[in-house]
Amino acid sequence: MAPAELSLKLKAGSGNRVKDFLNANLVNILAALLFFLLALFLLYPIIAVLVKSIRGPSGFTLEYYRTFFAKNYYYRSLFNTLLLGAINTVVCLVIGFCLAYMTTRGPYPLRKPLKVISLVPLIAPPYLFALSLIILFGRNGLVTRMFDLHWQLYGFAGVVISQTLAFIPLAYMMLENTLMSLNPNLEESAYDMGASEATILRTITIPLMAPGLLKAALLIFVMTIAEFGNAAILAGRTPFLAPDTYTMITGESDFNMGSVLSVVLIAPCIIIFFVHNYLLEGKKFTTIGGKPVASEPRKITPVIKVPLIIVTTAATGAILICFAVVLAASFYKILGVTDKFILANYLDFTSNQAIANSIRVSFIAAAIGAVIGVLLAYVIVRGKFFGRSFIEMASLSGFALPGTVLGIGYLLAFSAEPLKLTGGIMILALNCVFRFLAVGVEAGISKLHQINIEIEEASADLGASFLTTFYRIVLPIMFPAFIAGFIYTFMTAIVSLSAVVFLVSPGFQLAAVKIFDAAVYGEIGIASATTIKLILIVMLCLAVLNYVTKKTRLGSGLKQPVA
Amino acid sequence: MKGKFISAAVAAIFCVTLAVSAAAEEINAYMGTSPENNARIVNFIKEKTGITVNQSFESFGEIEARVKAEAPNFGADMIIGCGSSTGFMAKKNGWAVPYPSPAWRGVPKVFLDPQGNWYNIGNFSFVLVGNKDRLARAGLTMPKSWQDLLDPKWKGEIVMPSPLSSGTANMIRFSFLALYGDDKGWKFLEALDKNIHHYTRSGNAPTDLVGKGEFILGITSDENVKKRIDDGYPLLWSIPIEGTGYDGTFVLILKGTEKLEACKQIVDLLGSPEFSVIMAEIGYMTPRPAENKLYAKTQPNYITYGMTLPHYIKLDLGKAAEDKQKNNGIWKAKLRSTFE
Repeated sequence: MAPAELSLKLKAGSGNRVKDFLNANLVNILAALLFFLLALFLLYPIIAVLVKSIRGPSGFTLEYYRTFFAKNYYYRSLFNTLLLGAINTVVCLVIGFCLAYMTTRGPYPLRKPLKVISLVPLIAPPYLFALSLIILFGRNGLVTRMFDLHWQLYGFAGVVISQTLAFIPLAYMMLENTLMSLNPNLEESAYDMGASEATILRTITIPLMAPGLLKAALLIFVMTIAEFGNAAILAGRTPFLAPDTYTMITGESDFNMGSVLSVVLIAPCIIIFFVHNYLLEGKKFTTIGGKPVASEPRKITPVIKVPLIIVTTAATGAILICFAVVLAASFYKILGVTDKFILANYLDFTSNQAIANSIRVSFIAAAIGAVIGVLLAYVIVRGKFFGRSFIEMASLSGFALPGTVLGIGYLLAFSAEPLKLTGGIMILALNCVFRFLAVGVEAGISKLHQINIEIEEASADLGASFLTTFYRIVLPIMFPAFIAGFIYTFMTAIVSLSAVVFLVSPGFQLAAVKIFDAAVYGEIGIASATTIKLILIVMLCLAVLNYVTKKTRLGSGLKQPVA
Repeated sequence: MKGKFISAAVAAIFCVTLAVSAAAEEINAYMGTSPENNARIVNFIKEKTGITVNQSFESFGEIEARVKAEAPNFGADMIIGCGSSTGFMAKKNGWAVPYPSPAWRGVPKVFLDPQGNWYNIGNFSFVLVGNKDRLARAGLTMPKSWQDLLDPKWKGEIVMPSPLSSGTANMIRFSFLALYGDDKGWKFLEALDKNIHHYTRSGNAPTDLVGKGEFILGITSDENVKKRIDDGYPLLWSIPIEGTGYDGTFVLILKGTEKLEACKQIVDLLGSPEFSVIMAEIGYMTPRPAENKLYAKTQPNYITYGMTLPHYIKLDLGKAAEDKQKNNGIWKAKLRSTFE
């Protein structure tokens, strides 16, 4: 009897010890695991690109960089790319701000329609605007012919216009989010005390938005310089780095030069990333007073009102016209050439398969990405271990990594045993997970900063295990961050072309690649129809997601304290 | 609770999507003809052999890059439709599985490798296309000779594909180099460059851009010119007096395939007269005699390259494949330095 009792005690003791150990160290174990994932799927591919850029068939060499810097052509390409990024960022931010201001501070009846118009292009592949622009403003375009215009769409200007249209939604989404989470009380008190709208904007709104503006600027800059679809269709003879990299890899299969171009593409992004981090240092405004609040419409002075109205009308008008073109094109064999109304473009079965694949990949990516994002945010905020800020940097660096680079990195890193992933669906999903991780992590971090650690400590003191605390307290608070990460990854993964174009395999086409191929091939009808289908399906998915979120939040939000 | 719901949903969707993939005889192939023609070939194979071909559409240039990058672990079992340069490269490096197919006996030499490393299911060429309406508006006529394209009146009105990304453009380049000889050939390309608006990524893109009237003239693959005219594009096409070049559409089995028998079955099928009829209908010059829809007016039922109409430039595809990389270098050095 005695020995049995003893062993039982021992067992309980050791069980407790394991439990205590787990409780004390789970954060660290989790951190180690996440670090491993980051290292494998984010850092390793980038290192693979770096290595490839300095390693020729006969050992290490700087010859490829020498080639790059010896050629006037590449300087030109780099210059164009950076100029495009800068112009696009500024224009998108201005337009995005005006739209976001109108939908959060403007007249009520305009808010919803403006919001929908500003967001819809997010689901359309960015280069779609290039196609609409050719149909309308090309050398033989509808508008060009109607007014007998002589302008040059093919070149720098064309790429800037199409890229701007393509990235307005992203700018809008980021800035609207920032504006929504600004507590309007400050602005309203200023208004009540007689400050003009211009003064409020200048002294309150914009300074408070600074972190959000910076973040949006960084993201737009990086995404524009990496997106190659518009440039591939509209650039004419103007060189840009992203399409050059693509041709270098897929056309000439020169991985060394392709890697050099990628590294050159990363460099400005990383610099801007650090500048942005430096600027944000100590600027974490805590204006997030709980839930986002809708602001009352106020009287706006004409000085602000007129430019606001002009910009929003122009931007939404341009978006609507482009979409009208896409919609029209989807019902004709070739818009403007044959006028027979057809449905064949919608019945194209191969594109349906591609859409299904895209949704599948994006869904898997979004689910994994949102989970990893929330966990990373938790580890970064609550963990106390060596290398914590490194993990933070690494997971947020996704903001600064052009898709092209990670695409090539994945191709280099995961095409040989023992890490062979190419040819499968997981490589596509994982690529999207780690490229878009930053948004989920960001959202998670800002949510966690809102709750005091005392709540968790109280829970632990009352005897709850780490897992219970995490499950009961941390998770419910972080749920919005989870959803934010999920939706962002889902939406961006579905249209992104820059990375996946290197990774798709036979028998597993993605909608974005399919649309691009059809577009380049001149099958505008099929490209447009596929886009419209994609938009409808994604909107449906989002509606379901929205519904589910609301249901679960309502359903469990009340029960939580009781259970 | 919310977490559970989401994870359950994820799990459910994951299971459903996984379960859909059924187990029939399937092979993966890189296919470089147009998406529609790829589909036509895939359907024909499915109908005749029951084998499902999973395919991705890529240009000839992209397929070559992919194969080079993946060697020796290829992501597909075979290639159905790549440029001759890829075929010769695969033979040289031992990337292809030699299979002397009995079904291909009796076809002309240009259509098969003696050891059976590659087979050629159809030659395609490049043609000059012009936009009827734009020509009429400008009071111009289709050029009769390739040399006419050097006339400054075409400045900024001609498009052609870029040989850095397109197999068609590579064919255009090696054909002109063969026609005029290397020295004069490069001079011609440089002079032509002055009139070219820009170089497109895909070999078929000029057909579309000229069809839309964005540009007056295009040098383009003959692959879907006929189809675009049928679709209603106001296109004219011609082969200038010096003739045109050609490249094969090669088929080869990639080393390492675990489905060799299925691949062999497909190679056999593609050597049948029935398949030649399909390819000729699209406009390819086929290994077996078949009535060619595109060149019907100028063509008897069967051709020997370099001898009959349309006049073909005499080519050595093997040499063209050897020179490709070198010529890419020269191309960049000569044609990329100019900026507008």
